[in-house]
Amino acid sequence: MNIRKLLVLAGLGLAAVGTYFGLFVAPPERHMGDVQRIMYVHVPSAWIAMLLYTLAFGFAIALLWSGRQKWDDLMVGAIEVGVVLNALLLVQGSLWGRATWGVWWDWDVRLTTSLVMAILFAGVLVLRRMAPNEERRSQWSAVATVVAFIDVPLVYFCVRWWRSLHQIQSSPDTVDPAMVLPLRLNSFGLLFLALAWMLWRAAIERSSRRASEVPLPTRVAIEESAHA
Amino acid sequence: MSSLLALLSKDLLLEWRERARSLSVLLFAVVTLLLFSFALGPDVETLREATPGVLVLALLLSSTLALNESFRLEREDRALEGLVMRPVSLTALFYAKASANALLLTFLGPVVVALAVVFYSLEIDVATMTRLVGLWCLGAAGLAAPGTLYAAMTSRLKSQDVALPLLLFPLVVPVLLASVKAMGLVLTGDAMNQLRSWLTLLLAFDIIYWSVCGLLFRFAVEEGE
Amino acid sequence: MPDGVIGGGWSYVIAAYSVTVAVLAIYVWSLSRRSRRAERSQRDES
Repeated sequence: MNIRKLLVLAGLGLAAVGTYFGLFVAPPERHMGDVQRIMYVHVPSAWIAMLLYTLAFGFAIALLWSGRQKWDDLMVGAIEVGVVLNALLLVQGSLWGRATWGVWWDWDVRLTTSLVMAILFAGVLVLRRMAPNEERRSQWSAVATVVAFIDVPLVYFCVRWWRSLHQIQSSPDTVDPAMVLPLRLNSFGLLFLALAWMLWRAAIERSSRRASEVPLPTRVAIEESAHA
Repeated sequence: MSSLLALLSKDLLLEWRERARSLSVLLFAVVTLLLFSFALGPDVETLREATPGVLVLALLLSSTLALNESFRLEREDRALEGLVMRPVSLTALFYAKASANALLLTFLGPVVVALAVVFYSLEIDVATMTRLVGLWCLGAAGLAAPGTLYAAMTSRLKSQDVALPLLLFPLVVPVLLASVKAMGLVLTGDAMNQLRSWLTLLLAFDIIYWSVCGLLFRFAVEEGE
Repeated sequence: MPDGVIGGGWSYVIAAYSVTVAVLAIYVWSLSRRSRRAERSQRDES
Protein backbone atom coordinates (compact mmCIF):
# COMPACT_ATOMS: atom_id res chain seq x y z
CA MET A 1 0.00 0.00 0.00
CA ASN A 2 2.70 2.40 1.03
CA ILE A 3 5.05 1.70 -1.84
CA ARG A 4 2.18 2.27 -4.22
CA LYS A 5 1.40 5.69 -2.74
CA LEU A 6 5.07 6.59 -2.88
CA LEU A 7 5.29 5.56 -6.53
CA VAL A 8 2.18 7.54 -7.43
CA LEU A 9 3.46 10.66 -5.67
CA ALA A 10 6.91 10.43 -7.24
CA GLY A 11 5.40 9.65 -10.64
CA LEU A 12 2.93 12.53 -10.54
CA GLY A 13 5.64 14.93 -9.41
CA LEU A 14 8.10 13.95 -12.08
CA ALA A 15 5.47 13.91 -14.81
CA ALA A 16 4.18 17.33 -13.77
CA VAL A 17 7.63 18.91 -13.89
CA GLY A 18 8.47 17.06 -17.09
CA THR A 19 5.28 18.14 -18.80
CA TYR A 20 5.84 21.73 -17.75
CA PHE A 21 9.35 21.66 -19.21
CA GLY A 22 8.16 19.85 -22.30
CA LEU A 23 5.35 22.25 -23.05
CA PHE A 24 6.78 25.59 -21.99
CA VAL A 25 10.55 25.45 -21.56
CA ALA A 26 11.96 23.18 -24.26
CA PRO A 27 12.52 24.93 -27.61
CA PRO A 28 10.40 23.95 -30.62
CA GLU A 29 12.10 21.40 -32.83
CA ARG A 30 13.96 22.66 -35.89
CA HIS A 31 11.76 20.96 -38.50
CA MET A 32 8.65 19.91 -36.73
CA GLY A 33 8.10 23.01 -34.65
CA ASP A 34 5.78 22.77 -31.69
CA VAL A 35 4.19 19.53 -32.87
CA GLN A 36 7.28 17.76 -31.66
CA ARG A 37 6.16 18.39 -28.08
CA ILE A 38 3.89 15.36 -28.48
CA MET A 39 7.11 13.38 -28.25
CA TYR A 40 7.38 14.08 -24.53
CA VAL A 41 4.33 11.90 -23.87
CA HIS A 42 4.61 9.71 -26.93
CA VAL A 43 8.08 8.28 -26.44
CA PRO A 44 7.63 7.57 -22.70
CA SER A 45 4.34 5.78 -23.49
CA ALA A 46 6.17 3.62 -26.01
CA TRP A 47 9.07 2.83 -23.70
CA ILE A 48 6.95 2.03 -20.68
CA ALA A 49 4.46 -0.05 -22.70
CA MET A 50 7.35 -2.12 -24.06
CA LEU A 51 8.83 -2.42 -20.60
CA LEU A 52 5.50 -3.61 -19.17
CA TYR A 53 5.14 -6.24 -21.90
CA THR A 54 8.67 -7.41 -21.15
CA LEU A 55 7.80 -7.64 -17.46
CA ALA A 56 4.63 -9.55 -18.35
CA PHE A 57 6.75 -11.97 -20.35
CA GLY A 58 9.03 -12.45 -17.34
CA PHE A 59 6.04 -13.00 -15.03
CA ALA A 60 4.57 -15.48 -17.51
CA ILE A 61 7.79 -17.49 -17.55
CA ALA A 62 7.94 -17.35 -13.74
CA LEU A 63 4.34 -18.54 -13.53
CA LEU A 64 4.87 -21.47 -15.88
CA TRP A 65 8.07 -22.33 -14.05
CA SER A 66 6.78 -22.18 -10.49
CA GLY A 67 3.03 -22.48 -10.89
CA ARG A 68 2.49 -19.80 -8.25
CA GLN A 69 -0.56 -17.60 -8.64
CA LYS A 70 1.11 -14.41 -7.47
CA TRP A 71 2.88 -14.21 -10.82
CA ASP A 72 -0.48 -14.33 -12.53
CA ASP A 73 -1.63 -11.29 -10.55
CA LEU A 74 1.43 -9.30 -11.58
CA MET A 75 1.19 -10.53 -15.16
CA VAL A 76 -2.38 -9.34 -15.62
CA GLY A 77 -1.39 -6.01 -14.07
CA ALA A 78 1.51 -5.54 -16.44
CA ILE A 79 -0.50 -6.52 -19.51
CA GLU A 80 -3.49 -4.36 -18.66
CA VAL A 81 -1.48 -1.20 -17.98
CA GLY A 82 0.63 -2.03 -21.04
CA VAL A 83 -2.44 -2.23 -23.26
CA VAL A 84 -3.73 1.10 -21.92
CA LEU A 85 -0.41 2.81 -22.66
CA ASN A 86 -0.25 1.03 -26.01
CA ALA A 87 -3.68 2.41 -26.94
CA LEU A 88 -2.54 5.89 -25.93
CA LEU A 89 0.57 5.41 -28.00
CA LEU A 90 -1.57 4.75 -31.07
CA VAL A 91 -3.73 7.83 -30.53
CA GLN A 92 -0.69 10.07 -29.95
CA GLY A 93 1.05 8.56 -32.96
CA SER A 94 -1.98 9.16 -35.10
CA LEU A 95 -2.18 12.81 -33.99
CA TRP A 96 1.51 13.27 -34.65
CA GLY A 97 1.13 11.67 -38.06
CA ARG A 98 -1.73 13.97 -38.93
CA ALA A 99 0.31 17.01 -37.93
CA THR A 100 3.55 16.05 -39.66
CA TRP A 101 2.66 13.69 -42.51
CA GLY A 102 -0.83 15.05 -43.08
CA VAL A 103 -2.48 11.67 -42.61
CA TRP A 104 -4.08 10.05 -39.58
CA TRP A 105 -2.49 6.75 -40.27
CA ASP A 106 0.64 5.69 -42.07
CA TRP A 107 1.84 2.11 -42.39
CA ASP A 108 5.02 3.12 -40.64
CA VAL A 109 7.09 0.39 -38.93
CA ARG A 110 6.63 1.51 -35.38
CA LEU A 111 3.00 2.55 -35.72
CA THR A 112 2.03 -0.70 -37.40
CA THR A 113 4.00 -2.84 -34.96
CA SER A 114 2.38 -1.12 -32.00
CA LEU A 115 -1.06 -1.70 -33.47
CA VAL A 116 -0.38 -5.43 -33.87
CA MET A 117 1.13 -5.47 -30.38
CA ALA A 118 -1.98 -3.86 -28.88
CA ILE A 119 -4.25 -6.42 -30.54
CA LEU A 120 -2.02 -9.31 -29.47
CA PHE A 121 -2.00 -8.37 -25.79
CA ALA A 122 -5.63 -7.31 -25.76
CA GLY A 123 -6.26 -10.83 -27.04
CA VAL A 124 -4.56 -12.21 -23.94
CA LEU A 125 -6.95 -10.22 -21.74
CA VAL A 126 -9.92 -11.50 -23.75
CA LEU A 127 -8.69 -15.09 -23.42
CA ARG A 128 -8.48 -14.62 -19.64
CA ARG A 129 -12.14 -13.74 -19.45
CA MET A 130 -13.10 -16.86 -21.38
CA ALA A 131 -11.07 -19.38 -19.39
CA PRO A 132 -13.14 -22.04 -17.64
CA ASN A 133 -11.37 -21.98 -14.29
CA GLU A 134 -8.67 -20.23 -12.34
CA GLU A 135 -5.79 -22.55 -13.05
CA ARG A 136 -6.58 -22.62 -16.75
CA ARG A 137 -6.89 -18.88 -16.73
CA SER A 138 -3.43 -18.23 -15.38
CA GLN A 139 -1.73 -20.88 -17.50
CA TRP A 140 -3.53 -19.90 -20.69
CA SER A 141 -2.71 -16.24 -20.24
CA ALA A 142 0.93 -17.09 -19.55
CA VAL A 143 1.09 -19.24 -22.69
CA ALA A 144 -0.57 -16.55 -24.79
CA THR A 145 1.72 -13.89 -23.33
CA VAL A 146 4.86 -15.83 -24.20
CA VAL A 147 3.60 -16.53 -27.71
CA ALA A 148 2.58 -12.90 -28.26
CA PHE A 149 5.81 -11.46 -26.89
CA ILE A 150 7.97 -13.58 -29.18
CA ASP A 151 5.91 -12.36 -32.10
CA VAL A 152 6.72 -8.67 -31.57
CA PRO A 153 10.26 -8.64 -33.07
CA LEU A 154 9.09 -10.80 -35.96
CA VAL A 155 6.29 -8.36 -36.73
CA TYR A 156 8.73 -5.49 -36.48
CA PHE A 157 11.18 -6.96 -38.99
CA CYS A 158 8.40 -7.97 -41.33
CA VAL A 159 6.82 -4.55 -41.41
CA ARG A 160 10.22 -2.92 -41.83
CA TRP A 161 11.06 -4.98 -44.86
CA TRP A 162 7.56 -4.62 -46.18
CA ARG A 163 7.87 -0.83 -45.90
CA SER A 164 11.45 -0.51 -47.10
CA LEU A 165 10.23 -1.10 -50.63
CA HIS A 166 8.37 2.19 -50.50
CA GLN A 167 10.24 4.64 -48.40
CA ILE A 168 13.45 5.13 -46.52
CA GLN A 169 13.01 5.90 -42.86
CA SER A 170 13.87 9.45 -42.02
CA SER A 171 14.82 10.26 -38.47
CA PRO A 172 15.49 13.86 -37.53
CA ASP A 173 17.92 13.28 -34.71
CA THR A 174 18.62 16.79 -33.64
CA VAL A 175 18.36 16.31 -29.93
CA ASP A 176 18.79 19.44 -27.89
CA PRO A 177 19.74 18.92 -24.21
CA ALA A 178 16.69 20.99 -23.33
CA MET A 179 14.63 18.27 -24.99
CA VAL A 180 16.28 15.42 -23.14
CA LEU A 181 15.31 16.68 -19.70
CA PRO A 182 11.49 16.68 -20.12
CA LEU A 183 11.73 13.36 -21.94
CA ARG A 184 13.65 11.81 -19.09
CA LEU A 185 11.42 13.30 -16.39
CA ASN A 186 8.25 12.15 -18.13
CA SER A 187 9.67 8.69 -18.73
CA PHE A 188 10.49 8.14 -15.08
CA GLY A 189 7.22 9.70 -14.03
CA LEU A 190 5.24 7.39 -16.24
CA LEU A 191 7.38 4.45 -15.16
CA PHE A 192 6.53 5.03 -11.50
CA LEU A 193 2.85 5.56 -12.25
CA ALA A 194 2.70 2.47 -14.43
CA LEU A 195 4.37 0.34 -11.77
CA ALA A 196 1.95 1.65 -9.14
CA TRP A 197 -1.04 0.82 -11.35
CA MET A 198 0.39 -2.60 -12.13
CA LEU A 199 0.70 -3.36 -8.42
CA TRP A 200 -2.79 -2.01 -7.82
CA ARG A 201 -4.25 -4.19 -10.53
CA ALA A 202 -2.35 -7.16 -9.10
CA ALA A 203 -3.81 -6.46 -5.65
CA ILE A 204 -7.33 -6.36 -7.11
CA GLU A 205 -6.74 -9.65 -8.89
CA ARG A 206 -5.45 -11.19 -5.67
CA SER A 207 -8.37 -10.10 -3.54
CA SER A 208 -10.97 -11.12 -6.13
CA ARG A 209 -9.26 -14.50 -6.36
CA ARG A 210 -9.55 -14.85 -2.58
CA ALA A 211 -13.19 -13.85 -2.73
CA SER A 212 -13.96 -16.49 -5.32
CA GLU A 213 -12.38 -19.18 -3.16
CA VAL A 214 -15.54 -20.12 -1.33
CA PRO A 215 -14.66 -21.59 2.07
CA LEU A 216 -15.44 -25.26 2.56
CA PRO A 217 -18.32 -25.04 5.12
CA THR A 218 -20.21 -22.69 2.81
CA ARG A 219 -19.74 -24.99 -0.12
CA VAL A 220 -21.04 -27.97 1.86
CA ALA A 221 -24.05 -25.93 2.90
CA ILE A 222 -24.74 -24.98 -0.70
CA GLU A 223 -24.49 -28.55 -1.86
CA GLU A 224 -26.78 -29.75 0.91
CA SER A 225 -29.39 -27.15 0.09
CA ALA A 226 -29.16 -28.21 -3.55
CA HIS A 227 -29.89 -31.80 -2.60
CA ALA A 228 -32.77 -30.92 -0.34
CA MET B 1 9.28 -40.74 -31.75
CA SER B 2 7.30 -43.92 -32.36
CA SER B 3 4.45 -42.60 -30.27
CA LEU B 4 4.56 -39.44 -32.34
CA LEU B 5 4.19 -41.45 -35.54
CA ALA B 6 1.42 -43.54 -34.02
CA LEU B 7 -0.46 -40.42 -33.00
CA LEU B 8 0.09 -38.81 -36.37
CA SER B 9 -1.19 -41.86 -38.24
CA LYS B 10 -4.19 -41.91 -35.91
CA ASP B 11 -4.89 -38.28 -36.78
CA LEU B 12 -4.43 -38.86 -40.49
CA LEU B 13 -6.65 -41.95 -40.37
CA LEU B 14 -9.27 -39.86 -38.62
CA GLU B 15 -8.88 -37.22 -41.29
CA TRP B 16 -9.42 -39.87 -43.94
CA ARG B 17 -12.48 -41.32 -42.22
CA GLU B 18 -13.90 -37.84 -41.94
CA ARG B 19 -12.96 -36.87 -45.45
CA ALA B 20 -16.24 -35.04 -45.88
CA ARG B 21 -14.92 -32.64 -43.24
CA SER B 22 -11.56 -32.17 -44.97
CA LEU B 23 -13.34 -31.66 -48.26
CA SER B 24 -15.54 -29.01 -46.71
CA VAL B 25 -12.39 -27.14 -45.67
CA LEU B 26 -11.19 -27.36 -49.26
CA LEU B 27 -14.52 -26.19 -50.57
CA PHE B 28 -14.40 -23.30 -48.14
CA ALA B 29 -10.98 -22.26 -49.46
CA VAL B 30 -12.35 -22.32 -53.01
CA VAL B 31 -15.39 -20.27 -52.00
CA THR B 32 -13.06 -17.72 -50.38
CA LEU B 33 -11.12 -17.48 -53.61
CA LEU B 34 -14.35 -16.87 -55.51
CA LEU B 35 -15.60 -14.26 -53.05
CA PHE B 36 -12.38 -12.29 -53.22
CA SER B 37 -12.57 -12.36 -57.00
CA PHE B 38 -16.09 -10.96 -56.89
CA ALA B 39 -15.07 -8.33 -54.34
CA LEU B 40 -12.11 -7.15 -56.41
CA GLY B 41 -14.06 -6.98 -59.65
CA PRO B 42 -13.81 -8.70 -62.98
CA ASP B 43 -10.74 -6.84 -64.19
CA VAL B 44 -8.17 -9.59 -64.73
CA GLU B 45 -5.27 -7.18 -64.32
CA THR B 46 -6.35 -6.21 -60.80
CA LEU B 47 -7.03 -9.82 -59.91
CA ARG B 48 -3.63 -10.89 -61.14
CA GLU B 49 -1.95 -8.28 -58.99
CA ALA B 50 -3.97 -9.31 -55.96
CA THR B 51 -3.33 -13.04 -56.42
CA PRO B 52 -0.75 -13.47 -53.61
CA GLY B 53 -2.96 -11.69 -51.11
CA VAL B 54 -6.04 -13.62 -52.13
CA LEU B 55 -4.19 -16.94 -51.91
CA VAL B 56 -2.82 -16.25 -48.44
CA LEU B 57 -6.17 -15.00 -47.16
CA ALA B 58 -7.84 -18.13 -48.50
CA LEU B 59 -5.28 -20.16 -46.57
CA LEU B 60 -5.74 -18.08 -43.43
CA LEU B 61 -9.53 -18.27 -43.43
CA SER B 62 -9.69 -21.97 -44.13
CA SER B 63 -7.06 -22.62 -41.47
CA THR B 64 -9.38 -21.51 -38.67
CA LEU B 65 -12.01 -23.89 -39.96
CA ALA B 66 -9.57 -26.78 -40.01
CA LEU B 67 -8.07 -25.92 -36.63
CA ASN B 68 -11.40 -25.45 -34.90
CA GLU B 69 -12.45 -28.84 -36.16
CA SER B 70 -9.20 -30.54 -35.21
CA PHE B 71 -9.96 -30.88 -31.50
CA ARG B 72 -13.71 -31.23 -31.82
CA LEU B 73 -13.75 -34.99 -32.26
CA GLU B 74 -11.45 -35.47 -29.30
CA ARG B 75 -13.62 -33.28 -27.15
CA GLU B 76 -16.80 -35.03 -28.21
CA ASP B 77 -15.53 -38.51 -27.49
CA ARG B 78 -13.54 -37.29 -24.52
CA ALA B 79 -10.68 -38.94 -26.36
CA LEU B 80 -8.19 -36.22 -25.51
CA GLU B 81 -8.55 -37.06 -21.86
CA GLY B 82 -7.95 -40.68 -22.75
CA LEU B 83 -4.83 -39.71 -24.62
CA VAL B 84 -3.64 -37.45 -21.86
CA MET B 85 -4.10 -40.24 -19.33
CA ARG B 86 -2.18 -42.69 -21.48
CA PRO B 87 1.57 -42.53 -21.17
CA VAL B 88 2.06 -40.58 -24.38
CA SER B 89 3.87 -37.33 -23.87
CA LEU B 90 1.87 -34.20 -24.44
CA THR B 91 4.68 -32.90 -26.61
CA ALA B 92 4.30 -35.85 -28.97
CA LEU B 93 0.56 -35.24 -28.97
CA PHE B 94 1.15 -31.63 -29.98
CA TYR B 95 3.53 -32.44 -32.80
CA ALA B 96 1.20 -35.10 -34.15
CA LYS B 97 -1.77 -32.72 -34.10
CA ALA B 98 0.19 -29.82 -35.57
CA SER B 99 1.60 -32.02 -38.34
CA ALA B 100 -1.83 -33.36 -39.18
CA ASN B 101 -3.18 -29.81 -39.37
CA ALA B 102 -0.23 -28.65 -41.45
CA LEU B 103 -0.72 -31.57 -43.83
CA LEU B 104 -4.42 -30.89 -44.18
CA LEU B 105 -3.72 -27.24 -45.02
CA THR B 106 -0.89 -28.22 -47.35
CA PHE B 107 -3.18 -30.47 -49.28
CA LEU B 108 -5.39 -27.47 -50.09
CA GLY B 109 -2.40 -25.74 -51.70
CA PRO B 110 -2.15 -27.37 -55.14
CA VAL B 111 -5.90 -27.19 -55.67
CA VAL B 112 -6.31 -23.55 -54.71
CA VAL B 113 -3.18 -22.44 -56.57
CA ALA B 114 -4.30 -24.31 -59.69
CA LEU B 115 -7.72 -22.69 -59.48
CA ALA B 116 -6.14 -19.26 -59.09
CA VAL B 117 -4.06 -19.91 -62.21
CA VAL B 118 -7.24 -20.72 -64.13
CA PHE B 119 -9.45 -17.97 -62.71
CA TYR B 120 -6.93 -15.16 -63.01
CA SER B 121 -5.38 -16.46 -66.26
CA LEU B 122 -1.90 -16.38 -64.77
CA GLU B 123 0.68 -17.24 -67.37
CA ILE B 124 3.10 -19.29 -65.33
CA ASP B 125 5.03 -22.50 -65.88
CA VAL B 126 5.09 -25.58 -63.70
CA ALA B 127 8.24 -24.48 -61.85
CA THR B 128 6.62 -21.24 -60.70
CA MET B 129 3.52 -23.11 -59.67
CA THR B 130 5.62 -25.50 -57.64
CA ARG B 131 7.29 -22.60 -55.90
CA LEU B 132 3.91 -21.07 -55.11
CA VAL B 133 2.74 -24.36 -53.64
CA GLY B 134 5.98 -24.58 -51.67
CA LEU B 135 5.39 -21.13 -50.20
CA TRP B 136 1.83 -22.17 -49.42
CA CYS B 137 3.21 -25.14 -47.47
CA LEU B 138 5.58 -22.95 -45.47
CA GLY B 139 2.70 -20.62 -44.69
CA ALA B 140 0.52 -23.57 -43.70
CA ALA B 141 3.23 -24.80 -41.35
CA GLY B 142 3.49 -21.36 -39.77
CA LEU B 143 -0.26 -21.30 -39.15
CA ALA B 144 -0.47 -24.87 -37.91
CA ALA B 145 1.90 -24.59 -34.93
CA PRO B 146 0.41 -21.61 -33.06
CA GLY B 147 -3.01 -22.54 -34.44
CA THR B 148 -2.89 -25.98 -32.87
CA LEU B 149 -1.73 -24.53 -29.55
CA TYR B 150 -4.56 -22.00 -29.47
CA ALA B 151 -7.13 -24.48 -30.77
CA ALA B 152 -6.28 -26.78 -27.87
CA MET B 153 -7.27 -23.99 -25.52
CA THR B 154 -10.23 -22.52 -27.36
CA SER B 155 -11.78 -25.87 -28.22
CA ARG B 156 -13.00 -25.95 -24.61
CA LEU B 157 -14.87 -22.72 -25.01
CA LYS B 158 -18.36 -22.03 -26.22
CA SER B 159 -17.08 -19.03 -28.14
CA GLN B 160 -14.27 -20.89 -29.87
CA ASP B 161 -15.28 -19.71 -33.34
CA VAL B 162 -14.61 -16.14 -32.28
CA ALA B 163 -11.72 -16.79 -29.95
CA LEU B 164 -9.43 -18.70 -32.27
CA PRO B 165 -9.24 -16.18 -35.14
CA LEU B 166 -9.08 -13.32 -32.67
CA LEU B 167 -5.95 -14.78 -31.10
CA LEU B 168 -4.41 -16.36 -34.17
CA PHE B 169 -4.79 -13.70 -36.86
CA PRO B 170 -2.74 -10.91 -35.25
CA LEU B 171 -0.11 -13.46 -34.28
CA VAL B 172 0.43 -14.65 -37.83
CA VAL B 173 0.88 -11.19 -39.34
CA PRO B 174 4.52 -12.08 -40.15
CA VAL B 175 3.40 -15.23 -41.97
CA LEU B 176 0.82 -13.27 -43.90
CA LEU B 177 3.22 -10.51 -44.91
CA ALA B 178 6.11 -12.80 -45.74
CA SER B 179 4.07 -15.23 -47.83
CA VAL B 180 2.23 -12.50 -49.70
CA LYS B 181 5.50 -10.74 -50.50
CA ALA B 182 7.30 -13.94 -51.43
CA MET B 183 4.44 -15.12 -53.65
CA GLY B 184 4.36 -11.73 -55.31
CA LEU B 185 8.07 -11.93 -56.03
CA VAL B 186 7.67 -15.44 -57.43
CA LEU B 187 4.90 -14.24 -59.72
CA THR B 188 6.35 -10.95 -60.92
CA GLY B 189 10.02 -11.79 -60.90
CA ASP B 190 12.60 -11.18 -58.21
CA ALA B 191 14.59 -8.30 -59.60
CA MET B 192 16.31 -7.23 -56.40
CA ASN B 193 16.92 -10.66 -54.87
CA GLN B 194 14.49 -10.08 -52.02
CA LEU B 195 12.87 -13.48 -52.07
CA ARG B 196 15.60 -14.97 -49.95
CA SER B 197 15.02 -12.64 -47.00
CA TRP B 198 11.28 -13.27 -47.02
CA LEU B 199 11.90 -17.00 -47.14
CA THR B 200 14.29 -16.70 -44.22
CA LEU B 201 11.68 -14.84 -42.23
CA LEU B 202 9.00 -17.39 -43.01
CA LEU B 203 11.33 -20.23 -42.07
CA ALA B 204 12.39 -18.44 -38.89
CA PHE B 205 8.74 -18.04 -37.90
CA ASP B 206 8.09 -21.72 -38.60
CA ILE B 207 11.09 -22.91 -36.61
CA ILE B 208 10.50 -20.58 -33.66
CA TYR B 209 6.83 -21.39 -33.32
CA TRP B 210 7.17 -25.11 -33.91
CA SER B 211 9.62 -25.28 -31.02
CA VAL B 212 8.01 -22.78 -28.63
CA CYS B 213 4.49 -24.10 -29.07
CA GLY B 214 5.73 -27.63 -28.50
CA LEU B 215 7.21 -26.51 -25.20
CA LEU B 216 4.09 -24.62 -24.14
CA PHE B 217 1.49 -27.18 -25.16
CA ARG B 218 1.53 -29.06 -21.87
CA PHE B 219 0.43 -25.89 -20.08
CA ALA B 220 -2.45 -25.37 -22.49
CA VAL B 221 -3.95 -28.81 -21.89
CA GLU B 222 -4.93 -29.93 -18.45
CA GLU B 223 -2.95 -32.91 -17.38
CA GLY B 224 -5.54 -34.76 -15.36
CA GLU B 225 -8.35 -33.39 -17.50
CA MET C 1 9.74 31.39 -39.83
CA PRO C 2 12.60 29.25 -41.23
CA ASP C 3 12.03 26.90 -44.13
CA GLY C 4 10.40 23.54 -43.66
CA VAL C 5 9.07 24.18 -40.17
CA ILE C 6 5.60 22.99 -39.49
CA GLY C 7 3.76 25.96 -38.17
CA GLY C 8 1.00 25.85 -35.60
CA GLY C 9 0.43 22.38 -34.37
CA TRP C 10 -0.41 23.44 -30.84
CA SER C 11 -3.90 22.06 -31.29
CA TYR C 12 -2.42 18.62 -31.94
CA VAL C 13 -0.17 18.92 -28.90
CA ILE C 14 -3.08 19.92 -26.69
CA ALA C 15 -5.19 17.10 -28.12
CA ALA C 16 -2.46 14.54 -27.49
CA TYR C 17 -1.85 15.65 -23.90
CA SER C 18 -5.53 15.86 -23.03
CA VAL C 19 -6.31 12.44 -24.50
CA THR C 20 -3.42 11.00 -22.50
CA VAL C 21 -4.53 12.57 -19.24
CA ALA C 22 -8.17 11.69 -19.84
CA VAL C 23 -7.49 8.04 -20.67
CA LEU C 24 -5.18 7.58 -17.70
CA ALA C 25 -7.73 9.25 -15.41
CA ILE C 26 -10.46 6.92 -16.68
CA TYR C 27 -8.16 3.96 -16.10
CA VAL C 28 -7.46 5.04 -12.52
CA TRP C 29 -11.19 5.52 -11.93
CA SER C 30 -11.87 2.03 -13.27
CA LEU C 31 -9.13 0.58 -11.05
CA SER C 32 -10.55 2.25 -7.96
CA ARG C 33 -14.06 1.04 -8.79
CA ARG C 34 -12.86 -2.53 -9.26
CA SER C 35 -10.75 -2.37 -6.14
CA ARG C 36 -13.70 -1.20 -4.04
CA ARG C 37 -15.87 -3.96 -5.46
CA ALA C 38 -13.19 -6.59 -4.76
CA GLU C 39 -12.78 -5.36 -1.19
CA ARG C 40 -16.52 -5.38 -0.62
CA SER C 41 -16.96 -8.92 -1.89
CA GLN C 42 -14.06 -10.02 0.27
CA ARG C 43 -15.66 -8.43 3.30
CA ASP C 44 -18.95 -10.15 2.52
CA GLU C 45 -17.22 -13.48 2.53
CA SER C 46 -15.66 -13.11 5.94
